[in-house]
Formats: sequence, C-alpha cells, structure tokens
Amino acid sequence: MDEELFIKVFEIVGAKLCVASDDGERVHSQIAAALKEGKKVKISFANVDSLTSAFLNSAIGQLYGEFPEDKIKSGLSVCDIEKDDLGLLKRVVDTAKEYFKDPERVKIARKEVLGEPDAK
Amino acid sequence: MNPIKLSGEIRSDYSGFNLLINFSAQLMQEEFEHIEVDMSGVKWMDANMCAPLGGILYKLSRQLNTVTVTGLKPGIETVLSKNGFLSNYGREKKQDTHGTTIEYKRFELKDGRYFGSYVETHLKDKGIPQMSSALLKKFRESIFEIFSNAVIHSETKLGIFSCGQFFPTKHRLDFSIVDLGLGIQANLKQKANLELSAVDAINWAMEGRNTTKNGPIPGGLGLKLLRDFIEINKGRIQIVSDRGYWEFSQGIVSTKELSAPFTGTAVNIEINTADAHSYCLVSELRPENVF
Repeated sequence: MDEELFIKVFEIVGAKLCVASDDGERVHSQIAAALKEGKKVKISFANVDSLTSAFLNSAIGQLYGEFPEDKIKSGLSVCDIEKDDLGLLKRVVDTAKEYFKDPERVKIARKEVLGEPDAK
Repeated sequence: MNPIKLSGEIRSDYSGFNLLINFSAQLMQEEFEHIEVDMSGVKWMDANMCAPLGGILYKLSRQLNTVTVTGLKPGIETVLSKNGFLSNYGREKKQDTHGTTIEYKRFELKDGRYFGSYVETHLKDKGIPQMSSALLKKFRESIFEIFSNAVIHSETKLGIFSCGQFFPTKHRLDFSIVDLGLGIQANLKQKANLELSAVDAINWAMEGRNTTKNGPIPGGLGLKLLRDFIEINKGRIQIVSDRGYWEFSQGIVSTKELSAPFTGTAVNIEINTADAHSYCLVSELRPENVF
C-alpha cells in the first residue's frame, strides 16, 4: 500500500529553531528510512520559526546523494512552510542537485549513508 | 612581564581588526605569564569587537597565562560591563537599561541550540524597535548561517565567540562571530587542495557554489545567502581570516592584506535596521515545484 507518512520537523527537533546540522540529520534519518521503504513522505514545517541552509542540507539536501531525483520528486512533499523558507529550501535542493552531479560525491554519500559499495 | 598596551580606536573596520591582530601577534607564544592588557590608550571600541578581542584573550588564558584587563576609560568600561565581556576579567555585569548590547558569549561547537536561544533572547527582548519582523527573521537566520559555517568548517577546539551592538541613532546593528580554528585559506588547502592567498581564499568562499565539502552532506550556500541578504539590506559584511581582510558594502567587495595573520575566522555583519524591504519572494514558488 502506498501510504503517505507525515513527518513533523518540530516534533523531531523539539524546537522552533531548526538551525543545527545535527538536528537536520535526525530529520534526514526519518525521511531516508521512509523513502528506502518506498513510502511517500509529507514533511510539515508547522511551528518552525527559523531554518538554515546547514539544517536543510543535512535534512533534505543529502537525500540527492542517496536516492534518484525522480524518486525524491515523486516521494517527497512539504507543507506548512512559510514562503521565504520554501525559497530557501528550493535553493538548498538546487545546490544539492548541482553538488551531486559529481559521481564521486554520490559514491561517498551512498557508501556512508546507505552502506552501498558503489554508485548506481 | 610588563603591561601590554592596546591603544587606538577598535572599530569594526580594517584598522580595528589590524590593531587587534598586531596585539595578538606579539603575545601568541606566551605561556605561564601574567599578562596585563593596558587599555588606557583605547579611545573607542565598537562593542561587537569584544568577540575577536575575547577570542584572543581566551586563547592566551588557555595557554595558562593569567590575563587581566586594566585602564579602561569609564565609557568603554561601562559598555563592556553591560555586555558581560568584563565579567571574564573580574568586573561585575552592569544592567543594560537601553537594551543596546548583545551579550558577549563563548560557545562550544555543539552549542547550536544554546546559541539559537541566545540570539532569540537578545534580538527579541533588547528593544530593537525599528526592525520589521521579516528583517529580524532574515537577520537571525544570517547569524545562524555564520555560526553553522564555523561549526562545520573551523575545527576549533577553543569555541566560537560572539557579541553584538545596536547603534540606534545610526540605525545599525553590528554582530561579530569569531572562531580560532583552521581559517579559510588553510581549509581550502587541506580539503580542496587549493593554494590561494588569504584574500583570494575568502573571495573563493564567497563566490558561486564553491564549497570545500566533499562528504554526503552538500554545502556552499550559507555565505552566499548572507551576502544576498546584506546586499538587499544595504548593510556590510567583513571577514578576516589569516592575512586576508574582505569587506562587502553597497554591492562592492574590497580587500586588503593584514599586517599579521589571524588564526581562525572573524565575521562581522552590520545590518541596516531601518530597512523596510519585505523579503518575500518575487516568484510564485509552489511546494510541488521544489524537488
């Protein structure tokens, strides 16, 4: 069953300031685990006051090194996010796509995060 | 050891940073000494410059020197007592009745959340009435970006120093974040195998999507976001790292070489608090078009 999972950033981080890379990592683990299982994921930014590129790179940007772009596009959606935060997320996503054009970086990402020996 | 004189005007500019760096250069090898910093010759000090000065003095203390600060002019002593800087050197903290100081603090790299609440508290309760909520949000996020950058790249074991000051009549707010870590030039050499001058290394870090990161988490955006914001806000950024001094103001970058190296990176941002820009996106970006 193609069930959609609802991930609440505020609940995982436990604070309205989502600025540290480590906090982003915790959000990332949840999203990556769900995507790996083929689930669709909706990420809610309700009650989040401040975001940084470091947090979003860690939470979402690194997914582009681990999953194909079309899988992320079809599997991820966001809600309850302020307009300027959405703009920041878009810049993070574009930067991540650019960053992972280097196959060596994809290889490192998949090896470190998913335990895959080689990029596919 | 004779008292070490620190004299002149310690402003957030090339001369101010150069003055502190020269002061630091003559002391950095000292160990097990009593170092009296005689500040009687300091005519003016921008309070946010407590961050680089505090970093330098903290390093001296970690080298097992006993550091004392003497001779401050009453006006400077009052401001530096209000922002908590002088609490590190035996003075009592004074109440900031005008709400113009942003406390001097040292943070560990793991203190991201603590830093977050420090920024929240100081920007919310310290009476910065002119700032629109959109500007306040952008400013707060810029500060977090600088802090995150120091956490990710500096590899410092001495912590991150920060301090700010609001100048109400000038509609300006200055905030400095300093680490005593690797520095940008050494970072580039070590992680990207790029050998650039200190100034060119800062230029490289501030341009395009350059990043020294090579691991699973992408990077190379934080400093550009900061630069974009400061350009719209008509503020100013100054970056000091190794011998490089880099300044961005009114859309123009100017650089200079410092007379001695600064071990680490200091970033000062000055924002125009009277900025009424909405900071909303011009384009109609929709959530379904993000990924």
